[in-house]
Amino acid sequence: MVPSVPLGACLGLSAILFAIGLVGFLGRRNIILMLVSIEIMLNAVNVSFAAFSSHLQDTRGQILALFVIAVAAAEAAVGLGLVLALSRNRPGISVADLTELKY
Amino acid sequence: MGILAGQSAFYYLAAVSVASAILAITRRNPVHSMLWVLALFVHVAGIFLLLGAEFLAAVQVIVYAGAILVFYLFFLMLLDLPVEAAGPPFGAHWPLCAAAGLAFAAFAWYAHDPGLVPAMQPVEPATRSPGSLRSIGMALFTQFALPFEITSLILLAAIVGAVVVAKRKNVP
Repeated sequence: MVPSVPLGACLGLSAILFAIGLVGFLGRRNIILMLVSIEIMLNAVNVSFAAFSSHLQDTRGQILALFVIAVAAAEAAVGLGLVLALSRNRPGISVADLTELKY
Repeated sequence: MGILAGQSAFYYLAAVSVASAILAITRRNPVHSMLWVLALFVHVAGIFLLLGAEFLAAVQVIVYAGAILVFYLFFLMLLDLPVEAAGPPFGAHWPLCAAAGLAFAAFAWYAHDPGLVPAMQPVEPATRSPGSLRSIGMALFTQFALPFEITSLILLAAIVGAVVVAKRKNVP
């Protein structure tokens, strides 16, 4: 199959999605939505991997994207476990509740 | 599929992806955010299909949209956050965050070097289809066998770690 998508457009989409995820991670106060923003960033990187894999006609990019997906699953499990442990000891899961090291 | 149809499909998928990502990080209700992230993941899977990565598209839908997102939604409903919908979704430092995002996008645009990637080599047609499951499986179990096993270790560590972290300490 001839790749009909230009590489630069894919890389631009990847950069835009990564920037959106970065803004979400830095700006949101809900910890679950910060974790979801990390997922958005990982997905943006996967778009890059798939674009290079298609452009260079090389399978290895897709395999690296598969590893990224596996690590994202592990990160979701551990991160949400931490959020669950946190929500037992704090009133909410906003980062504004986590100020014990601040002062 | 013609070149024009492929390109218009790509631009549709890209536009919807960016729009749903923006909506996902700006919605006040976290469940709405999750549903927009679901739309984002499905459209990114469509982009993978356009790029000839069928297996990656299937894994994206099954693992990301099927498993990880359901996990997040399950947690949101388990925690039952009443106060989240009341306050503003972003902290007071949101202009700084937007500036960081814009700076990153500008940096990525600036650093994008077209000469970085060699032009597509004329591989012999119909012998190597990079997205075929056969070639992915061959590479995954020969060249990438050690990283594959290490991935299973990472997943095992994540399972054990999640149980240890989330377990109640003093179970009666």
